[in-house]
Amino acid sequence: MQLLTHKSTLVGLVALLLAVILLPMFAGALWVKVLTSAAIFALAASGVSLVYAQLGLINLAQIALIGIGGWIALRLNYGTALPVTLIVLGSGILTGLIGALFALPALRMRGLYLALVTLMVAALFQIMFNAFQFPNGGEGFWGVAQKSAASIRRPAFAETDEAYFRYVLIALGLSFALIGLHKAGRPGRAWAMTRQSEANAMAAGINVTFYKLWAFALSGLLAGIAGALLAGALGQLDARSFLAGEGILLFALAVVGGAFSWLGAVFAGLLYKLLPALFNDWGLSADIALIIFGGALMHAIMTAPHGIAGQILGAFNKEKSDD
Amino acid sequence: MLKVYGLFLVSGLAVGSLYALAGIGLVILRRSTGFLNFAYGALAAAAAMVAWQVADWGAWGPIAWLSALLTGVILSVAYGRIIAPSLAWREPAVKAVATLGYMLILLGVMGLLWDDELRKLSLPTDKMATTLLGVRVTVTRMIALGLSVAAVIAMILYLDRSRMGLNMRALADDRDHAALLGIPIVRVETIAWCISGALAGVTGLLFGSLVRLEPTVITFMVIPATAAAIVGRLNSLPMTLLGGLLIGVVEAMLTLYKPLAPLRAMTPFVIAGLVILWMQRGTNLTFATKD
Amino acid sequence: MKTTLLFAATLMAGAAFMAEPAKADGHAPVCGLNTGTAATGDPIKVGGINGNAPPGDFSGGTDGAAAYFDCVNANGGVNGRPIEYIVENDQWNPELAGQVATKLVKDENVVALVGNGSVVEMAVNAPLYASEDVMVMASGCAISECYESSHIVSTNQGPLPSGIGALKFAIEELGATNAACIGFNIPNNGGWACDWMNEYMESKGLQGTSILMDPTAVDLNSVYLQALAEGVDTILLMLPAGPAIGLLKVAEEQGGRDLFKWVSPTPLYEPGVGEILGEYWSENLYINIELNEFDSEGADNQNWAKVVEAYGQDGDRQDTFSQSGYISAKFFVDALLKLDPATIDRPTVTKAIQGIVGAESDLLCKPYYVGEADRHMPNHAGRMVVFKDGGFELVRDCYDIDTNYLDPIRAQEAALGLK
Repeated sequence: MQLLTHKSTLVGLVALLLAVILLPMFAGALWVKVLTSAAIFALAASGVSLVYAQLGLINLAQIALIGIGGWIALRLNYGTALPVTLIVLGSGILTGLIGALFALPALRMRGLYLALVTLMVAALFQIMFNAFQFPNGGEGFWGVAQKSAASIRRPAFAETDEAYFRYVLIALGLSFALIGLHKAGRPGRAWAMTRQSEANAMAAGINVTFYKLWAFALSGLLAGIAGALLAGALGQLDARSFLAGEGILLFALAVVGGAFSWLGAVFAGLLYKLLPALFNDWGLSADIALIIFGGALMHAIMTAPHGIAGQILGAFNKEKSDD
Repeated sequence: MLKVYGLFLVSGLAVGSLYALAGIGLVILRRSTGFLNFAYGALAAAAAMVAWQVADWGAWGPIAWLSALLTGVILSVAYGRIIAPSLAWREPAVKAVATLGYMLILLGVMGLLWDDELRKLSLPTDKMATTLLGVRVTVTRMIALGLSVAAVIAMILYLDRSRMGLNMRALADDRDHAALLGIPIVRVETIAWCISGALAGVTGLLFGSLVRLEPTVITFMVIPATAAAIVGRLNSLPMTLLGGLLIGVVEAMLTLYKPLAPLRAMTPFVIAGLVILWMQRGTNLTFATKD
Repeated sequence: MKTTLLFAATLMAGAAFMAEPAKADGHAPVCGLNTGTAATGDPIKVGGINGNAPPGDFSGGTDGAAAYFDCVNANGGVNGRPIEYIVENDQWNPELAGQVATKLVKDENVVALVGNGSVVEMAVNAPLYASEDVMVMASGCAISECYESSHIVSTNQGPLPSGIGALKFAIEELGATNAACIGFNIPNNGGWACDWMNEYMESKGLQGTSILMDPTAVDLNSVYLQALAEGVDTILLMLPAGPAIGLLKVAEEQGGRDLFKWVSPTPLYEPGVGEILGEYWSENLYINIELNEFDSEGADNQNWAKVVEAYGQDGDRQDTFSQSGYISAKFFVDALLKLDPATIDRPTVTKAIQGIVGAESDLLCKPYYVGEADRHMPNHAGRMVVFKDGGFELVRDCYDIDTNYLDPIRAQEAALGLK
């Protein structure tokens, strides 16, 4: 088991290095932008996956937390002169706290009711984002001026799209490492026991409340970082990017990609952003992508609970054992 | 001033009755099959679009409305017969998530079939109107309200009085025991999918006529409808009706209070959230129970 | 993904109605060098981005420009070089808008963008256009970035001047004293335009209120009721055609025609609107138009109708944006024709576009110009029509507006010697 994790980590590191060095060199300007988005949403999807795979909980509100992270990042961008990386981290941490806060009343729920609560939260924030809009350099707490938006900073070393893509990839790698550390460590064991039986976990002296909140906070942290990175990538944020329907799609793709490994989150990001962009480039309708997503979700739910990543890793492992 | 309140009350009841109607369709299905059907809005949207298409081909009005009903029933039963059985013994959350897949498929297919132009679904009742509390109310709006009340009464009677209703309640209580008792599960469930699909068809038709005829908009109407169903604890038809109407009226009334006016669309979700918290009251244990 | 107004049939009826005067002339359209032979040289790549998805279709600009470019290519091109026009749709999605602009500007290396129409694209891409020094001759702009950026110049007026034009008419001719501006709650669109609207009302000693609605809002009924609760005497519909029509339908259902004076900027001036609105609104809806009437007799308008008929695609929109796209494309080609075809590249084209000053057309009330400036708004004088018997009737010819917003624009015009 230890070895397998180790190997998966190595593979991940090599893939990340190759992506950081090679992708921006060979992909056109369009694809650098698309892949940046894909990487950002892979980061957010890894949070959805974490809560789903470790605790068996369905979170349809990740899109709202991405929006909150983006909002905080914009507010800090216009209100302070902090370095961008610090803003990204700050947005992540604050969003993580907010995520845990929202999880507090939901702790006693799981299954369908929790899914419904998160859906209500996603719908709530869709309205909030539309009513209050994202800061664009205006005065006051909400920071919205009825005019053109002022500019958003990127890190000094990542001003170009290519450099920013590398910056996002490194953030993605670090986030995956953070999740990996959690899974392999104490929280991972606590989550595993909690998932099997909360009562047993409690009897074993595990602080179930704390570790559940911790999972939501970690997932919120990842969403917040994704939101902040998205703000930098687009140069602005728009309420229409954070509809409740997108939260549903993000969860669906996290399941389709495979919730149990970092590879699954990568697939989720690619499906969410790269596939529609490819279709657009080929002159195909984005609606075809929706049909594929829907079919894949039903397939994953019924027969492939570990998603695409699970099937690929499974095939890979089987070949190994056949040798 | 009274006239203004009347205006908002009537407007709120009209929107609320649509939430209620959709919520009832969700609850009926959920009670007998355990499926919370997130694709419900997509069924309604498909029904409305088919009705528009049939009318656009020049068919006689009633044929177009009937086609909406049939679309709802066919799409609902298709899922109930083909997909649902293989998920029958899974937990409710998994069942619900699977319907999300169906929703995405239907949404995609509708996007392919009907590009995003502005359409209008006209019912003859749109032109007929009476004045109520100083407000002009079209007959279509009154049908929406009347239909949701009638649907609740009819369903309560049906579930209470008929053999099929008894079977449905047995199934809702315990699927395993119902099977042991020899209740024809497939038949009972098919009828539940059928009723729910028919309600989706009617909801879509009314929504397309009263609010907006657009697949995405109608599809995501399932979210506020779910809020109404939550008020009914996914179980009670009268509470769902009341929940839907309450949501509609509060939402409309908030328009009058300027600071909250832009946030009025949050009403369904705030009310549903409060209901869920209320349902959790008294539970002191930190860990979750069965759904 | 072409959008027509309500039913395809409506559009057909509308289009036939609009195209009538143009056919009477009978001559072939006039484009570019007008040689009658197709251009075969090395293509010049030009881009265009429209926004076509609910809640609005802004593809008329690129449709009109595409038809004109096709006509130019069939008539000698730009001194022998054809124009390769690449059009993308941003689908009202900021991410997609950024992606397609990057593709056009960086991957395809277009010399300029012409005919753009969107509520999203310009806000995302204005910095890109400036940093890459590529000019955008937009045609269907509706947000502040279109009029407050160095590298975007739009032929249409957008909601601000057109809305103020409509209000000016409402104040002077209809006696409006208290107006509600109903717009989308998008800061650089509805928020921006309605803010200036209120400022304008105040400057006249009158009252104005903004009612900003969620663009994804489903229930237009409560938006109308909100206006009712405000107690205004005039409603300005600062919305794309679809939602505006929806709101008028709600008002009709509630019998609201006579409770307010109804005015609107250009979006409602569209073929097919007559069929949808019906008799109820006849002589009760006043619309400001940013370009000339669809059936006006001027040479450019007649030529637009012919170009669109001969070179347009099925389902093309024939609206104000189409006129605007056509005339933008014409100004663009005229500017390029002055260049040595061998030297046409992005820097020379940017210079040539910035060199356009005082270009005249019967589609516009005043001469068009670009110049080098940090903002551009060459078109701010319009006309007013009334919706009548399923069509439109001119009620006020060319007039300019008076708002502080135009102060920097007037300074530019003075510097360029335009008045």
